[in-house]
Amino acid sequence: MLELKDLKLSYGSTQVLNGVNLSVKRGDVVSIIGPSGTGKTTLLKCINYLVKPASGTIAFDQIRMDYQRADKAAIQAIRLRTAMVFQQFNVFKNMTVLQNVMDPLVVVQRKSTDEAREIALRELERVGLSAKRDSYPSQLSGGQLQRTGIARALAVRPDVMLFDEPTSSLDPELVGEVLKVIKDVTSSGITSLLVTHEMQFAKNISNRIVFMDRGVVAADGSPAEIFDAPSNPRLAQFLQSELAFQ
Amino acid sequence: MDVSAMIPELFSALPLTLAITFTAMFVGFCLALVATTLRVRRIPVVSHLTDLYVSYARSVPVVLQLFVAFYGLPLLVALLGAEDFFSPTIAAMVGLSFYHGGYLSEVMRPAYLAVDRGQHDAADSLGYTFRQKIARIVGPQAVHFALPGYGNSIIYLIHNVALVMYIGAADVMATAHLIMERDYNQYQFETYLVLAVIYALMCLIAWFIVHFFELRSPMQAPEATTTAQIKNAAIASV
Ligand SMILES: Nc1ncnc2c1ncn2[C@@H]1O[C@H](COP(=O)(O)OP(=O)(O)OP(=O)(O)O)[C@@H](O)[C@H]1O
Ligand SMILES: [Mg+2]
Repeated sequence: MLELKDLKLSYGSTQVLNGVNLSVKRGDVVSIIGPSGTGKTTLLKCINYLVKPASGTIAFDQIRMDYQRADKAAIQAIRLRTAMVFQQFNVFKNMTVLQNVMDPLVVVQRKSTDEAREIALRELERVGLSAKRDSYPSQLSGGQLQRTGIARALAVRPDVMLFDEPTSSLDPELVGEVLKVIKDVTSSGITSLLVTHEMQFAKNISNRIVFMDRGVVAADGSPAEIFDAPSNPRLAQFLQSELAFQ
Repeated sequence: MDVSAMIPELFSALPLTLAITFTAMFVGFCLALVATTLRVRRIPVVSHLTDLYVSYARSVPVVLQLFVAFYGLPLLVALLGAEDFFSPTIAAMVGLSFYHGGYLSEVMRPAYLAVDRGQHDAADSLGYTFRQKIARIVGPQAVHFALPGYGNSIIYLIHNVALVMYIGAADVMATAHLIMERDYNQYQFETYLVLAVIYALMCLIAWFIVHFFELRSPMQAPEATTTAQIKNAAIASV
């Protein structure tokens, strides 16, 4: 349902994406792993056009776009069908938890306040934040902020969820509560792309693992293929260092 | 003629003083909005011209800016064939509006840039249009960052209104001087004292209003802020 071809992007003179190819089928849960700075975040941002690739194409069901001829309608259509969860949460700081989840429904999807409220309350229940619905972000823990971010993303009923290292700026004791919510989301059958450094978690929830290295997809396979029998030497090295670290 | 008679006389000039202040506040705010938009968008030439305007407003002494308005405006209105339009009061309003607009733009621009990049990313990825994003998310947060600086800029504006007497506008300051001359400079100290109280009051009220909004900002509250807390904090800081 989602296919990226030959994505290239550089920041100034540093080439970050060197021709990334990635295709995701409906219902896939794909974890993207790889060393820091290889462009994992950048890749997710390309899908929503938060950064502008120099070249490459994206196909999202019947929506097709060449990044060299970016077109507003296609960008908006893709944005409406995907939802992103950010490493830094990016919960709207001027709104309460409930407003954060409701606002996109009212403003972007033009739902009535009542309907938006109903959906938002259901999603907050799902991530275990009903009690905090009237709190402002400055009053929440990292884990609660990230669960707000996840509820906001789920509320728009996306076809694809994009998680960018959702737990890596959390205190260790808060990681569990967020991973639990993500596991609940991915097991509900929604197509998901997850950038993560939580190897064990990736192995447990994904049906596919993509290893990114130096701006390209260097290995791509089932969790067993990637974790138990890594064929790529850089992948083996990476896994070893990650496991040593954990 | 005694001291207390001069107070109502001074106050009679207050409406004009306030009219100049509020006009400069309003027009300056609009100018600052436009200038800020042009500057953050970085449009070639236009943005540079706007930078030039802002550095004029911020670096040229305000008295001088008033003289520029006073002597420059007649040339402009003559060009437009609207000489009747010109008066010292109008020149004061124009001069101070331009000063305040430039100054305020340098409050707004950093406030806009202080809004976390991630807030833009989140709004964009959810499909907000640029206008929706500014109206719902980035704008309100920028207002929060801008409020303290805005309060200061209003106080500076009020102070600088006292300079309009140099171009012959009849504000409280000018009126005070008229009174003193008429009364053979008997009550100079008293008159200046009353004047000082008037300015202090105007600044205090302005500051109080801005500070009220500062405390009410949701981004501020580390825990639920109650109205009582707002009141206490406001009283404590006076
Ligand atoms: N806005 C930017 N301007 C310049 N360089 C950037 C910018 N954003 C990212 N980079 C650089 O691009 C490279 C890829 O960044 P990216 O955030 O995509 O990596 P990542 O794989 O997500 O890493 P991590 O695992 O640390 O999150 C890095 O070298 C980073 O320094
Ligand atoms: Mg990253």
